[in-house]
Amino acid sequence: MSSSDAIQSVSNFLLDAPPGELQDVISDVKALIGDDASVVAELNPALEKYNKAQLISTLLPGGDRLVIVSDYNDLGGGRFYDVESKSSFAFDHVSQKAFDVQSYILESKNAELITSLLKSLGPHVSEHYPSLPAYGVYPSSEDTTIALVITGNKYSPANYWNGRWRSIYTFDPASNALSGEIKVDVHYYEDGNVRLLTTHAIEEEISSGNAADVVRTIARKEKEYQENLNDAFVQLSEGAFKSLRRQLPITRQKIDWDKIGSYRLGQQVGLFPTHEHS
Amino acid sequence: MASQDPFDCSLDLLRRLNPKNTTANLNTLINLVPDLTEDLLSSVDQPLQLARCAKTQREYLLCDYNRDGDSYRSPWSNEYTPALSDATYPSEKLRKMEIAANQAFDVYRELYYEGGVSSVYFWNLDDGFAGVVLLKKCMPSVASGPKSTGTWDSIHVFEAIDGARTCHYKLTSTVILNMVSGGDDLGEMDLSGNMTRQIESDMTVDNAERDHIANIGKLVEDMELKMRNLLQEVYFGKAKDVVADLRSVATLSQTQRDRAIHQEMITSMSRR
Repeated sequence: MSSSDAIQSVSNFLLDAPPGELQDVISDVKALIGDDASVVAELNPALEKYNKAQLISTLLPGGDRLVIVSDYNDLGGGRFYDVESKSSFAFDHVSQKAFDVQSYILESKNAELITSLLKSLGPHVSEHYPSLPAYGVYPSSEDTTIALVITGNKYSPANYWNGRWRSIYTFDPASNALSGEIKVDVHYYEDGNVRLLTTHAIEEEISSGNAADVVRTIARKEKEYQENLNDAFVQLSEGAFKSLRRQLPITRQKIDWDKIGSYRLGQQVGLFPTHEHS
Repeated sequence: MASQDPFDCSLDLLRRLNPKNTTANLNTLINLVPDLTEDLLSSVDQPLQLARCAKTQREYLLCDYNRDGDSYRSPWSNEYTPALSDATYPSEKLRKMEIAANQAFDVYRELYYEGGVSSVYFWNLDDGFAGVVLLKKCMPSVASGPKSTGTWDSIHVFEAIDGARTCHYKLTSTVILNMVSGGDDLGEMDLSGNMTRQIESDMTVDNAERDHIANIGKLVEDMELKMRNLLQEVYFGKAKDVVADLRSVATLSQTQRDRAIHQEMITSMSRR
């Protein structure tokens, strides 16, 4: 395999890393392609894409609130900004840490609405995201719309599971239309590898362009979705899972293996050991 | 990570990356590190492929254990497709037992899966024999109601090492369970993966032809019951609990108030 093909292949591995396991995947990848600095540098585009798509959150040096890395607050040159703390920061896509914080004042024709949305979104996030919550509101689509992003993460590698919730919305102040996507990613890997991946699209007209109404709609749509998702677990468990394999045969008894030769597979007569009938 | 061995790191990657992509990721790893091809193919369980036996028209399952080069052996006809001139077969005595095992697990499959396909393959060892019991069932989507589908693959690999009147069995079982649900209210939901468990057991063998199949049958049946319970717990319990840890349907302030009231009740009751 050529070295560019190899970089392409392992880049796809990096983009597939479960929540909180990017460092493990990087370490595995280095064992396969070598940790020569020039080779590792070629992984940077994939790492940057991953961090932005996954809404990776980090503390600013000296800060106590998580800030997000995304396509929406990307200033280019490896720097991102945070509206609430009026700052920009450099981000290391390998270590996933922020450094070199500078002051940054947002310039947007929707600056006022963005500030109101941040104010409304804060209580929503603190009321519903118990673990490592982070959120941000940024101008998008060349300042015609506003992006709202929320993430919550829970990492429990000692118990072999990790999870991430992402909500990504776009609000158009011209039409009061809210659109977006909720994504849930859960990984369980004790003596196995089990993954939950969900995507739920949202399209909603809001009666006003008021920040409180926007956040109220978000809260309602997220609640509806989470309830539907909880129902879907029950439906899968009661439906597909049961139909795939029974817990016990229809006789409610384990197989009598010493008499396995006497079982007959009848279509209508059922599946009973013949010795029980004779 | 302590170990930097490419084989261990490949297995670690396959344990972390989306289990739905295991086959594709395995092929990528083999292209990256061709030296690991045989080791990886024999250590990584992939979803089972189906083929139809040319002689009996019955479906059978393909895996690394009935493969010789690019050909696969049918458990029903004992023939390889495409045909091979110098292929490996179980001994005549073991093939007889393999036929009986296929019949027994065909009954097992019908009783527990009510459909699907099963295949059993045996091979000789110096001090006994080894084999694999394969079961696969697919649930197609139904037209009405929420769109939900699923696939179950069981791969039970065992060794049976002869002792005096007893036999030492070592069983490694993997279940690959993939489920997808969807609809207008839900969007897409994919709950997929695999789990592996091992067990060892010494069991009596008086009559080899009869007792091995019964012993292996009991081991596989007990293991599948355990694994089905485990899968239920992880897929529908644990995964759901983690979602609730990520986002709370109720407000956290309400949850805290409820907890405080509950704590107060316990405290006041214990004071009586």
